[in-house]
Amino acid sequence: MPITFKEVSYEYSANTPFAYLALDEINLKLADGKMTAIVGATGSGKSTLVQHLNALLIPTRGELEVADRKIVANQKNKGLKELRHQVGLVFQFPEYQLFEETIVKDVAFGPQNFGISENEATEIAKKAIRTVGLDDSYFEKSPLELSGGQKRRVAIAGILAMNPSVLVLDEPTAGLDPQGAKEMMALFRKLNTEDRKTVLIVTHDMEHVLNYCDDVVVVEKGHILMHVDKQTFFEDTSCLERAKINPPAVIRLRKLLQQQGFDIPNTILDLPTLAKLVRKEVAK
Amino acid sequence: MKNIALGRYIPLDSVIHKMDPRAKIISMLLLLVCIFIDTGFIGYAIVGAVIVLAVLLAKLKIDFIWRAMKPMLFMLVFLLVINILVIKTGYVMLTIGNFRIYSDAVVQTCYITIRLILMINITTLLTATTKPMDMTIAIEDLLTPFKSIGVPAHDIAMMISIALRFIPTLLEEADRIMKAQASRGVDLEEGSFKEKINAILSLIVPLFVSSFQKAEDLANAMEARGYNPGAKRVRYKQLKFAFRDYTLFVVSVGLLAGLIVLKVTVL
Repeated sequence: MPITFKEVSYEYSANTPFAYLALDEINLKLADGKMTAIVGATGSGKSTLVQHLNALLIPTRGELEVADRKIVANQKNKGLKELRHQVGLVFQFPEYQLFEETIVKDVAFGPQNFGISENEATEIAKKAIRTVGLDDSYFEKSPLELSGGQKRRVAIAGILAMNPSVLVLDEPTAGLDPQGAKEMMALFRKLNTEDRKTVLIVTHDMEHVLNYCDDVVVVEKGHILMHVDKQTFFEDTSCLERAKINPPAVIRLRKLLQQQGFDIPNTILDLPTLAKLVRKEVAK
Repeated sequence: MKNIALGRYIPLDSVIHKMDPRAKIISMLLLLVCIFIDTGFIGYAIVGAVIVLAVLLAKLKIDFIWRAMKPMLFMLVFLLVINILVIKTGYVMLTIGNFRIYSDAVVQTCYITIRLILMINITTLLTATTKPMDMTIAIEDLLTPFKSIGVPAHDIAMMISIALRFIPTLLEEADRIMKAQASRGVDLEEGSFKEKINAILSLIVPLFVSSFQKAEDLANAMEARGYNPGAKRVRYKQLKFAFRDYTLFVVSVGLLAGLIVLKVTVL
């Protein structure tokens, strides 16, 4: 089942002097099994958008469909727990969810909430902790003593342990070192290709979009500016400029070379091909 | 969570908003004293009329006032039940089986209810029309005369202002934590009692951790900028009494005096 937004609007503090329209009649269709990046400036509505996916926010107008569940504005939506089992959402700040005495217990908290026995949940938790790149010595540590990057890994493990079919990550690599960020992105990609999970990533890092994602959704001031595949997105840099996004290094290099008179088509998105073309041109 | 109205500042442009916060605090205290002068329903009608007038002048919406009072509804119901069970004077108003409801119980409850509603309204009026920062300055000014007897006016004012400043931040934080835990299957609405207790625990621990973290960060930031509570400081914002503030004084003192006269002569 694809994820569909139909004319979804969301207004914070509706009917008060503080009312703020964060999403304005959004229409969006996200196909199954894709890894989609959601990009946009701060305050553009990205986080509001992703919080609709597991019904943490209910639209003030319009309706959406996620994982066979229909969420309609102004209706009492019951039994959202099952939806939250299907759609795992990792928040921007991992501190908001860590509370147990040990990391294993904390990661096992999610699965247990969805009715998995303690023993089984502990096993799942251990596996999830290893998946995010922490070794067995972390199992009995307190999640509160970890560094920012490690906390983030534990928070991600906490969601992975629930084994959701849709994985939504709000800036999952913030606070990680570049190497750690790459590892996590590779992990999400693996979950996407091998386990056929639909992955949505809110990110500011265009390198990650280029290297790991299939599609790109650009959000601007509560509207969907565009929803295109990666190839189209990076071919035409004018839309990047319009959305005030700094393109990845390869694209910048491509543009510089073009300005210097190199004949390089816009379809080139990777460094090896770019290098080959440059070599060919120079040899001429 | 974000819709909590109690104690929230509403940025509007009205006479009451422009008034000197010191004048507003003193008037609030005077009005609170007025409420406790027992002149029966006539007195409450007068105080109530003054408050309604003030609410209208402050351009506050009825909806907002109602939401500010909502959290107290539970307490009002609780008081009603206790009063009906305990007070056995006056005449019997209603008999249900063996159980009798006496007139005094109802009258007493009405009194308490009216008092509470008036009190909430007065304090809401103050907090809704006064910026937290102005309130702090006013509190500091009003406490300054007591400095000579060892009241740390500045420290108290700073503590109050920090506390006020962090109410919305912590509410927002609680909201985010709730969402993060809801994403992990915590069900605050539909779960069983035991599940709910567990759910609350999963909210409190991160909230405490983040509060302490914030307190530490704030202390460091203040220290880094050379904050010293004992130092002599000047203010950017100077408070000054205007005509409207004197009017407010006259009205509230007049009201208090009037009620005292009413109490002494008529009743």
